[in-house]
Amino acid sequence: MKRLHIALLAGSMMLVPAGCSDYLDVNTNPNAPETVAANLYLPPMLHWMVTSPQFDGRFIGRYTQQWNLPSTTTTPNTWDRMGYDPSSDNGAQQWRDVYWSLGQNLVDMINLARTEERWDLLGVGQVLKAWGWLVLTDMHGEIVVKEAIDQSRFTFDYDTQEFAYQEVLSLLDSAATNLQRSDGAVSQTFLARGDKIYGGDRAKWLKFAYGLKAIALNHFSNKASYKPADVIALVDKSFVSNADDALLTYPNTNNDDTNFWGRTRNNITSYRQTQFVVGLMNGTNFGNGTVDPRMSRMLSPSPDGQFRGVDINAQNGGAFTAAQLPNNFFGYPTTGGLQLPGRYIFDDKAKIPNMTYAELQFVKAEAAFRAGDKVTALTAYKNGISAHFDFVNSRNLDNGQTPTQITPAEKAAYLADPNIVPAAGSLTLTHIMVEKYIALWGWGHNEIWMDMRRFHYTDKDPITGNQVYPGFAFPTNLYPDNGGKIVWRIRPRFNSEYVWNREALDVIGGLALDYHTKPTWIVNP
Amino acid sequence: MRLRKVLGLFALAVLVCPSLSSAQGTGIIRGRVTDAASGAPLAAVQISVEGARVGGQTSSDGNYSVSGVPSGAQTLIARRVGYTLQRIPVNVGAGVANVLNISLKAVPTTLNEVVVTALGTTMEKRSLGTAQQAVKGAAIAETQRENFVNALQGRVAGVQVVSSSGVPGASSSITIRGVSSISGSNQPLMIIDGLPMDNKTLNTGVLASDAPGSLTAFSNRGVDFTNRAADLNPEDIESLVVLKGPEASALYGIDAANGAIVITTKRGKAGKGGFEYSNSFRIERTRAQPDIQTTYGPQVVTTPTSTTFFYFGDPYPAGTTIYDNVNGFFQTALTQKHNLAFSGAASDNKLNYRISTSTTNQQGVVPNNKYDRVNVTGASQAQVNSWLNADLSMGYTYANNRQSFKGEGGPLIGLLVWPSSDDAKDYLTAAGQRRKATNLAAEVDNPYFNVNKNQITSKNNRIIANLGLKFTPFGWGNLKTNIGTDSYTNQNLILRHPESAFGVNNNGIIDVADDITRNLSAQTLLTVNPHFLTKSISLNGLLGHAVSDFKSTTDASKGQDFLEPNFVSVNNANSRTSRTSIAQRRLVSAFGSLTASFREYLYLTVTGRNDWTSTIPKERNSFFYPSISSSFIFSDAIPSIGRHMSGKLRAAYAEVGKDARPYAYRPSLEFKTTSNGGYGYGFTGPNLDLKPEFARSYEIGTEMGFLNDRLGFDATFYRKQTKDQIVNDIRGSYGTGYILFNLNGAETRNQGLELTVRATPILRNGFSWDILANFEKAHGKTLALPHALPESYVSDTWLFGNVRNGTAPGLSTQSLTGLFYLRNNAGKLLIDPTTGLPIRSTVFIDHGYDRTPDFTIGLTNNVKRGSVSLSFLWDIRKGGDVFNATEQFLTARGLSPRTLDRWEPRVVDGVLRDGKENTTTPTQNNIVVVPAVQNGYYTNISEELFIEKNINWLRLRDITLSYAIPPRLMKNASVFLTGTDLFLWTNYSGLDPIVNGNTAAVGGSGAAGIDYGNFPIPRGINFGIKLTR
Repeated sequence: MKRLHIALLAGSMMLVPAGCSDYLDVNTNPNAPETVAANLYLPPMLHWMVTSPQFDGRFIGRYTQQWNLPSTTTTPNTWDRMGYDPSSDNGAQQWRDVYWSLGQNLVDMINLARTEERWDLLGVGQVLKAWGWLVLTDMHGEIVVKEAIDQSRFTFDYDTQEFAYQEVLSLLDSAATNLQRSDGAVSQTFLARGDKIYGGDRAKWLKFAYGLKAIALNHFSNKASYKPADVIALVDKSFVSNADDALLTYPNTNNDDTNFWGRTRNNITSYRQTQFVVGLMNGTNFGNGTVDPRMSRMLSPSPDGQFRGVDINAQNGGAFTAAQLPNNFFGYPTTGGLQLPGRYIFDDKAKIPNMTYAELQFVKAEAAFRAGDKVTALTAYKNGISAHFDFVNSRNLDNGQTPTQITPAEKAAYLADPNIVPAAGSLTLTHIMVEKYIALWGWGHNEIWMDMRRFHYTDKDPITGNQVYPGFAFPTNLYPDNGGKIVWRIRPRFNSEYVWNREALDVIGGLALDYHTKPTWIVNP
Repeated sequence: MRLRKVLGLFALAVLVCPSLSSAQGTGIIRGRVTDAASGAPLAAVQISVEGARVGGQTSSDGNYSVSGVPSGAQTLIARRVGYTLQRIPVNVGAGVANVLNISLKAVPTTLNEVVVTALGTTMEKRSLGTAQQAVKGAAIAETQRENFVNALQGRVAGVQVVSSSGVPGASSSITIRGVSSISGSNQPLMIIDGLPMDNKTLNTGVLASDAPGSLTAFSNRGVDFTNRAADLNPEDIESLVVLKGPEASALYGIDAANGAIVITTKRGKAGKGGFEYSNSFRIERTRAQPDIQTTYGPQVVTTPTSTTFFYFGDPYPAGTTIYDNVNGFFQTALTQKHNLAFSGAASDNKLNYRISTSTTNQQGVVPNNKYDRVNVTGASQAQVNSWLNADLSMGYTYANNRQSFKGEGGPLIGLLVWPSSDDAKDYLTAAGQRRKATNLAAEVDNPYFNVNKNQITSKNNRIIANLGLKFTPFGWGNLKTNIGTDSYTNQNLILRHPESAFGVNNNGIIDVADDITRNLSAQTLLTVNPHFLTKSISLNGLLGHAVSDFKSTTDASKGQDFLEPNFVSVNNANSRTSRTSIAQRRLVSAFGSLTASFREYLYLTVTGRNDWTSTIPKERNSFFYPSISSSFIFSDAIPSIGRHMSGKLRAAYAEVGKDARPYAYRPSLEFKTTSNGGYGYGFTGPNLDLKPEFARSYEIGTEMGFLNDRLGFDATFYRKQTKDQIVNDIRGSYGTGYILFNLNGAETRNQGLELTVRATPILRNGFSWDILANFEKAHGKTLALPHALPESYVSDTWLFGNVRNGTAPGLSTQSLTGLFYLRNNAGKLLIDPTTGLPIRSTVFIDHGYDRTPDFTIGLTNNVKRGSVSLSFLWDIRKGGDVFNATEQFLTARGLSPRTLDRWEPRVVDGVLRDGKENTTTPTQNNIVVVPAVQNGYYTNISEELFIEKNINWLRLRDITLSYAIPPRLMKNASVFLTGTDLFLWTNYSGLDPIVNGNTAAVGGSGAAGIDYGNFPIPRGINFGIKLTR
């Protein structure tokens, strides 16, 4: 019997773990937590709020002719023809970030903030949510709002752009209310842990919320419901100087936290500035020969020192000698510039804004102009230019970029030039929109495109009879699917919607090959 | 009496003390069992007495003793692996010891063979109701392959082996009965000496470069790591049994849902002792290389922005020196291998041992590729006393592999794209830097620079230890416990040199990853020997329990932006990131099986297993599944048939569950490397309803032998259907808030036919000829996807152009989807009226591609005459599609010879997409295209023109000629000559149709059959000598 007992003992030793259900309890992910403190959700969302518009800016920037990707063949590249890349997610980074990078993270953060009575964080969360719906509907028109962020669904119906705008405005109102609260667990220290844009300063976030609402309301310029006074009032409650700019610092310790336009990330190395933007700054199309001192600090010279833009319709951007070919945006020929100082926002460490004081002043200028208050419009217009000069200088100091600082004398001369700053009575929409375009050039892609679409790209200035955007011309060789029409929206993200949500897309006509040429609700009267 | 017997058996089964046998009128039988041919004592012979519940087993000296045998006329049964069962009538005298010596004959008919089956138990083949097939270790070792998995192709019906490429240390994936899991592993469980053996191929997902959001990710493309089963020294394998379906492997549980490979390693053999030494030297040359045109030169780079390299430029000027860069690149590779083993047994045979060591140094035909391995193993077995047998085996492996990149960034693509007007060999500038062909930053890697400066190295230190204790304190059965560990430290280094095309944009990237894997397993089996209920019905069975704990921790870091370009260390990098990936899974199981035999010609086996897994939510983590199988030896049941042949019918049904990968059902937040850190959810959303998937499978088969078993065949038909299959990482709308999900709900069906024919056409006076043919026809089909989602694919397989391993309901599990040409209702190509070129779809569509072969045949011949023997294996495949992405790449770059007619105007046959394409009068395309001008003719060409359909091959896998040196010259010595992959006849236009664009780490059907910049399996000639003392 002894043997048997030994054998049984050996066998039963093995049974011990089975009896213990804890033994199987090893499925809590040891690599990553399942919940974190509310403020830790914030940094990636803020990063994307600033950065993902730049991702899409590679493509929107070609619709708006800020830049061009020269084609080696006689046929320009898709986006330069107001087309798109079929079966690609290009131009839908913000789709990804609004639904995923914000998505459930934002839901969780808002819930935690509400439970923990962190009204400041809650307000920032609502601002983020509003920002997301706003940029997404501006880009894509109809989007999924009501049914979004629901893991039990596998199809998602689209909501109208009008609904998306209502949602944006109501979220911003809630945000403003919450950001004014100081009760509960409101804490600048706590918010600052995750907020590297404003260091947890809820007063600045409140200004941001007002600013964003001003921008949103200004998009209604073609609608009968447009109320310029509301826009002006909101701008006045918003940023008061460049110190309020919503700027993201890029620590540049790895790929993801490096400025998207930096040479290291290599996202824009092959792109070149267009004739259109050069024309706006060198006095050809705007300013009757006045050369904008910012041109040599923002744009890139050719090796011979001249500033040229590429022809968006021509092979290789036009016929250039090697000395005439515009340098890349970092200021070097071809693909040069790696590890070397860049220019303006095209540097590994240059800060990128989401919204600036200058931008809002131009919004105010347009609203005041439309309200017939040209004096207010002119003041705001001048503020906008002046602030952007300072912005350019600041950016070029972010990481010791190569352009020199614009001297006070240069700035004063430009502001004193009647071609640029006329008397109040002579101010035109062209002045405002061109200067706004320049102030947003390179980073404010969503708003630039929204502006150009509000002016239907080539609307005429009612006073001068000239194009609001002088010198802008559609590509001569439109993308085949366009059927001769120009672009009004970007198709929803391919690998989200065209593969996995086709039925809902079909309801809004999204499966049509020319869906991107369908004007969005906001630009129509 | 009968009731008592039933109760008694029941009592045994629940481990109640079995003191039930009658004490009256019994005697003892004892004696010695020897091999009929050699006279050597035979250990582990099972002895039983027909109709009585008594029995025993011979010890290592061949002696046995059975007590409590009822007196009178009895029949003693002796059985052992590889020997004919013997029935010996004996008259047992009460109260006395009856001596009965037995000699056993080695098997002449396979049905009476005793075979190793699930859980390492031995059974007579006749009682098996399921399909399994064995391969002898010697046959595997004879192929001289470093990775024994590669020796299995063609040797077992139903087994498919795909090696990722032809470089040393390349991973090989093995599937049995086809691809049934859409996204998970389809590889079988590997069991070595009773415990699971890890066969992981490092997934690049654990590298710091593959951290979410990283732009330097490999995604299992362009790199490869050895599948860890290759650590096993083929010389240490005694035998290998493939349990093909869930029916056979049900007792191994959830990890064996794709079958199991059960390996028994060598032990010291009674009656044999001494040492064995063998060596092998191999010379290898590459099989083939692609053709490129050398008429047109690279496009003159005039644009500031062109970052690619096309050959649509002017012809090379007359008199240009053209270098054959491809041909000079490959080297003759030398491999040497030495094996030394000592083994023996104590004179009383109660103790045996085997210690062995082996060293391998393998070079690749690609410079700087190598695979070195050292194995040290020891195994010892002792009969401690009459009731305890102890067995300890330990194996240590050191493997050191260096590979070059493949695919996109690999040297093959570099070789092809490098201008023929330039000598690629000259790869460094005077200053010791990379010499470039253009002023482009990335351009294309010089292949020599690539293989000299870039590297993928992987070093592995592994210990497999297994302690087995077998208790036989009673005559009616035994209790066997195995406790073991399979642990290794795998150190990987992947270097993308700062000057290489691969690394230039990041100024160098170095990845290091140390995978520390420790797997612990223990298993206890209580085996009950056959017990006769009546004269004609006997029962036997087992109860078992197993616990496993698998854990891998990978510490990985990445450095970018090198300071000193040639100093290889993370410490040399300006920017560093690191990450840890831990994956742990625990499994607890209880199982049992019961076999009833009726007159030893009708058998019925039922098994049941319950698994508890850590990876499924607790409320559903316990699941039970049964199997039932039956075997009917009709040639014994009907003697009039048995006079002419032996024959068996079998049928089996099994269910088997499968769990999820660890951490699959709750989403987790990951550290974000975007500005200022913070947390955010990963790609994968929650699925708290996750449940195990189930496969239901049945098979029917027959085995027959004719002409004294010199001709036999074994045929099996099977069908397996999985339900609630878990699809990992299936996409959905981003509206969910996530990008990927792990969902139940896929359904697949696999069915197939396996046929093994064996014949011995010649057998006389030292002259024999054996033939073994293995035929397989298998097909897997996707029946449903979760939530009616339109397609599922494994994203890593989307490695070239727009083709991936997408599958959808109604398609093969090995289909390919892509952006293929659009056609009108009449099947004519739709042509873009502005370009004259065909229009491609903008969503991934099916075009009838299927990488599943129609059938495969493995044909082995063994001819032996006197001291000379010759064996060879033909590997034959019919059908199955292969995507020649390399050729498409060359075409799009203007390098393929097919682009030489680029100046010839042509009209693509099709109809214009002008709105009339689907009317009765579509507009025939008449737009003339000159590809040399309109490069889009080549650059936008669809992958469908390069997916080659119905690829067949006839491959001489292995051929071995060996010669036993006459004893007067040298005792016990033989020499051999082995050819590996010497000949390949195929209708595939690329280099080698056996190819995988990813590695064996990728689940589902993977990228098998996607050939992009991959090196073919080289031809090798091995020779060596074998000495035995």
